[in-house]
Amino acid sequence: MNRIFNYLSDAIAGVLFYFGQTKLRTFLTLLGITVGVSSIIAIMTVLTTFDKATAGLVEEMKTNVFYITKDNPVQISFGGEGRSSRNKPRITWSEYEQLKRTLTLTKNVSAVVAEEPSDRTISVGKEELKNRLYSFWGGDPEILALYKYDIITGRNLREQDLNDRARVAMIGYDIKEELFPYSDPVGQTIKIDNIPFTVIALMEEKGEILGQSMDSMIGIPISTFLQYFGGRNWRRADLQLILESESMATLDAATDEAIGVFRSIRKIPPGEENNFYIATNDQLMDTFGDFTQYLQIFIGLVAGISLLVAGIGIANIMLVSLTERIKEIGVRKALGARRIDIFLQFLIEAMLISIIGGIFGVVLGLLFGNVVAYFMEQDPTIPFNWVWYSIQICAAMGIIFGLYPAIRASNLNPIDSIRYE
Amino acid sequence: MAKSKKEIISIKSISKIYHLGDNVVKALDKASLSIYENDFISIMGPSGSGKSTLMNIIGCLDVPTNGTYKFNNQLISKMNDSQLANIRNEKIGFVFQTFNLLPKLNAVQNVEVPLIYSSLNRKERLERSKEALNIVGLSDRMSHKPNELSGGQRQRVAIARALVNKPSIILADEPTGNLDSKSGEEILKFLDKLHKAGNTLIIVTHEKSVAKRAKRRIEIFDGKITLDE
Repeated sequence: MNRIFNYLSDAIAGVLFYFGQTKLRTFLTLLGITVGVSSIIAIMTVLTTFDKATAGLVEEMKTNVFYITKDNPVQISFGGEGRSSRNKPRITWSEYEQLKRTLTLTKNVSAVVAEEPSDRTISVGKEELKNRLYSFWGGDPEILALYKYDIITGRNLREQDLNDRARVAMIGYDIKEELFPYSDPVGQTIKIDNIPFTVIALMEEKGEILGQSMDSMIGIPISTFLQYFGGRNWRRADLQLILESESMATLDAATDEAIGVFRSIRKIPPGEENNFYIATNDQLMDTFGDFTQYLQIFIGLVAGISLLVAGIGIANIMLVSLTERIKEIGVRKALGARRIDIFLQFLIEAMLISIIGGIFGVVLGLLFGNVVAYFMEQDPTIPFNWVWYSIQICAAMGIIFGLYPAIRASNLNPIDSIRYE
Repeated sequence: MAKSKKEIISIKSISKIYHLGDNVVKALDKASLSIYENDFISIMGPSGSGKSTLMNIIGCLDVPTNGTYKFNNQLISKMNDSQLANIRNEKIGFVFQTFNLLPKLNAVQNVEVPLIYSSLNRKERLERSKEALNIVGLSDRMSHKPNELSGGQRQRVAIARALVNKPSIILADEPTGNLDSKSGEEILKFLDKLHKAGNTLIIVTHEKSVAKRAKRRIEIFDGKITLDE
């Protein structure tokens, strides 16, 4: 045991000495490891803050809500799928009405068209909304229940509003605070792209998810939305359908029913694939999880390549240091160092160099990752498990790439090497 | 020589044969030698005489091709690499012509090097090293690096390093070869002192004046011991 401590202190002295002697060379070797490790740590820091931020979202989204859309709204694919989706039919108003009439296991159903974020100009009198509107949508009376908004004052949309394409709007708390700071907005006029709407309801505050205010919101009847903001072909607009089953227990049955009904509306023969997309929140979160997984694999590859290059750098610096220290090795052997002693000395030095590079990388990566997190308005984090993995990876690299130089050093003949100049 | 003394080294008819391509070189040719406790021996010989080979074998840096070499009754000639290293570490103190101190370490750290390969702890190592530096009269130069010391001082650090493991023999290869005559004389006087204190010394040299200091002179020529008096 004492021997191991002896090597360690000896190796630390050796490494420190070589830092002093060959600053530039050591720096360049460390740089490779530092870059590799810092990229891992930075990405993992960002992903960890992201995970923490989305934890609230996951909780929020753990509901019996599901969606029918033309395509997977969270499209992350590497080519292929995008093309086929162009041939899928839009979800039309009449399909929606038929579906709504037939479904028995759903509590709330709404068609929705949404702009998130929206660049519409929102104004009251001469006052304009300065911040970008996060969400502008058109929906049914049932949409508030689906979106989980509560009304503070005013009333919900009515069927009549949809039939009349009434210019009525429900606004989020942010909009009230900015445009109606001192008065009740209900009954007042708000202009959306200069088209006047009557405010019929103010929503209770919901706060932020992922740094986005849920209160920067304006909702109007879907028919009104399509007519005024749906563009020229608004009658053929592509709708998204949001549905909610009676309870979590009936979610699966309700989705199955919805699939069956929608297939029969579209007259899809048995055996053929759905030409629409149906997803529960769980599935959406899974897709999101897939995305972070792809990102991790990608970063893993980048870091792997950079660490491989760094490892070759370590092998190189150890070989150079070996030729410079042949005499030292000879002296040490004459004084009683065995093969294993010299082998371990070199291996420990290689490990120390790569761990020191790794520590710099961790510090740099934490800094960088947390700067990114700061700009994403997330709390600073340290991904401790990844810090630990990185140090282990570095130690392993030191061993792998230090192995060959260490073997060469240990096999030197003391008689010849002691005379080496 | 008083045969009552304990025999430390017993070399019987050893040969060392090198194959250089097609040439067969007999560096040592059936040499025999006994070394006893508290001997002070000089080994002389021209270059190419086999002097270095004999020294390497005595110092357990090499093993003979034929013959037997016993150190404290242990058969060295059949030992493997790490056993040889342990003998070098525990039983033999080396002093080299070019001092061979490690430039990155200070005096006391240099003296400590052999102890790194023993199983002493840090505290014991430091105590022993300081003690050894004290013996060679360099206790005021402990934290000086070799390049901050004079030639004579460097050789004294090297001697301290040779003494630190309390070896059975001290093997000095041209210990004064790289020193001016004054420092050389100083080192030789010190070696005398070590002999009087009971140590066993072997000095390899090609200088007659150095060889004369020894109590027993050995000369070697063409791989054979030609004089032993």
